[in-house]
Amino acid sequence: MTHVIVADLGYGDSGKGGVVGWLCSSAHAVVRFNGGAQAAHNVVTADGRHHTFAQFGSGSFTPGVWTHLSRFVLVDPLALAAEAAHLASVGVGDALDRLTVDREALLTTPYHRAANRARELARGQNRHGSCGMGIGETARYALEYPADAPRVADCAAPRALARKLGGLRDRLADEVGPLDAPGVAGVCEAYRAFAGRVALVDGGYLRRMLRTGPVVFEGAQGVLLDEWRGFHPYTTWSTTTFDNAETLLAEAGESALRLGVVRTYLTRHGPGPLVTEDPTLELPEPHNRHGAWQGAFRVGHQDAVALRYAVEVTGGVDAVALTHLDTAARHPLRLCRSYQVDGHTLTRITPGPARDLRWQERLTGLLLRARPGYEDPGGDWPGVIEEVLDAPVVLRSCGPTAGDKHAGAAALLG
Amino acid sequence: MGSGRWSTDVYYAAARYRAATGASAFAYSDSGAARTHPSLDPFGVSVRESRDSAEHPQSLAIAVLFDVTGSMRDVPRALQVKLPQLLGLLLRKGYVSDPQILFGAIGDATCDRAPLQVGQFESDNRMDDDLGRILLEGGGGGQKTESYELAMYFMARHTATDCYEKRGKRGYLFIIGDEMAYRQVKPAEVREVIGDGLQASLDVAALVAEVTRKWDTYYILPEGASYVGDAQVLGFWRRLLGQNVIELADLDAVCETIALTVGLGEDAISLDDGLDDLGDVGSTAGPAVSRALAAIGAGQARCELAAAPGDLHGPSGNVRL
Repeated sequence: MTHVIVADLGYGDSGKGGVVGWLCSSAHAVVRFNGGAQAAHNVVTADGRHHTFAQFGSGSFTPGVWTHLSRFVLVDPLALAAEAAHLASVGVGDALDRLTVDREALLTTPYHRAANRARELARGQNRHGSCGMGIGETARYALEYPADAPRVADCAAPRALARKLGGLRDRLADEVGPLDAPGVAGVCEAYRAFAGRVALVDGGYLRRMLRTGPVVFEGAQGVLLDEWRGFHPYTTWSTTTFDNAETLLAEAGESALRLGVVRTYLTRHGPGPLVTEDPTLELPEPHNRHGAWQGAFRVGHQDAVALRYAVEVTGGVDAVALTHLDTAARHPLRLCRSYQVDGHTLTRITPGPARDLRWQERLTGLLLRARPGYEDPGGDWPGVIEEVLDAPVVLRSCGPTAGDKHAGAAALLG
Repeated sequence: MGSGRWSTDVYYAAARYRAATGASAFAYSDSGAARTHPSLDPFGVSVRESRDSAEHPQSLAIAVLFDVTGSMRDVPRALQVKLPQLLGLLLRKGYVSDPQILFGAIGDATCDRAPLQVGQFESDNRMDDDLGRILLEGGGGGQKTESYELAMYFMARHTATDCYEKRGKRGYLFIIGDEMAYRQVKPAEVREVIGDGLQASLDVAALVAEVTRKWDTYYILPEGASYVGDAQVLGFWRRLLGQNVIELADLDAVCETIALTVGLGEDAISLDDGLDDLGDVGSTAGPAVSRALAAIGAGQARCELAAAPGDLHGPSGNVRL
């Protein structure tokens, strides 16, 4: 198998966890290349054990498969400890021993989290659908104060860590008021314990990892939530396209297959455009729920216009993994081929200039006014998706476990 | 995208990270790992340091590296279980006040996935974590040679110890194995495994001269390994290390043997005192240790390479009574 980059072509929750878990039967490591502890990738083993992967790679149920958190990940050592404990309770006792973290990665701290929640509360009805984990605060602070932003390497340098955490807390408290967060000394203690327990590595480590054998790059969230290409302001502070993974691969002189993951329908956590939303669809959703900070979990029909836009802005896909075929077999799912908006029929969303958030905001307005034009997809979902995305469906998933996954064109991954 | 399901409590996290791993001594190897654990990877390491601290003002560096290739059979597993007792043994009897112990493992750079694994010098039970992360290779070639020279190269050029730099005192290096080193340190292997650019091959005798300037170096050939008692192997090491070659007849006595060797080297005890100490702590390893250390404890000056005796190999050598 070659290296594979896995990215969600929708708004997240497409089933990346299961796809990554399946690929890890023939890979030795998972590399995370965006997002942070807000990821929630569900994997269910054949014997019924379930874990929601946030920072650990979704291949962790496979013995010997490593997780590497690259410098693009926003690392939350506190949530990581709890996640490791849950993994231990479902039979994966060595997750921390199979983890490497790039020293350059930014830390998401309780101060970021507290400021994030304070700001989101102040927005009232105009919430962005934030996860409440401080991801955006982390990214924003690092842009504003690059030298002062706490990074993973600081966890092993107590004095620098205390200084940076103190400065961070004070600046954020100046902006949003008193923070509901623990003291600096306690956070320092926990972070030092993290540095003493987990293998922190330099950037060159990934190159060796890639030379050892096939690696799966596991993307978080979805392309339609991308910070620049998503529908502003209902986006995430993270690059959700293939870009970060391609950057890491290029640095190592390696390449990978680009695998897009798509459900047979669309879902979205919280507010923002979802043209094909259909509240009458009652689909089984065992692992996603209404989030206290994100708002409602919403479902809608598959949307060829939005999917094509996702593929276009992410620079193309080599292959597609199609999940939730079991749902498609049991429910009346439709396919949206065009939008009706302002008296026009729209079959393509035109990508705007790079990094133009005003364009993206106008796009959001357009999509919020758009009405879907449906057609009946017939029974052949893989065929329809191949036609829409002009890429082969190489993996079909009919359920949550690896046994429910079927490689349609294994040769492509071989 | 999700909602952050995992608790972010500070005190809980600290306690979790500090808690014993709860994993078995072989957790890493048994997890299906296929390569060196990153915390033991010598690649790109400038130095492993053994430093004084307020708590440990008289640090003494002790390094134990063992062969993990197939010829060692079950010995590496036994060592992973036994070696955590070494620190306690040294401290209980007061042979050393501030030992700092590093564990590592030796494979075969010509064919192994993990030709060299090197932990950190630690003053507390964190060294056990390193021990548990050692990948038990089980490979190696069949030519009675493994990459001991790479391990000695690393110890010579990539360690820094306060005992030597501040007090002119050598640390202790124990190499546990049953085969010979390759005759030369090869630049290509050094580049691949450690990352150094070495201009030319380095003869193993020259390397031993270099490593023994900083490290009082011992070779231990344990029972249970394939080449136990092998005259060619013993002869090879005696030519390099003189009487610092120890045949260990009882693997259970490995910690006692190392501890007593250090105790003797530190002039903290005589061999007889040390054997009495062993009885005091309830060890039954006395006879085995006594045999193994007879030469070293016989009151002669310990071997320095500059005064290395000639070729002492023979069917029983001079280390068994």
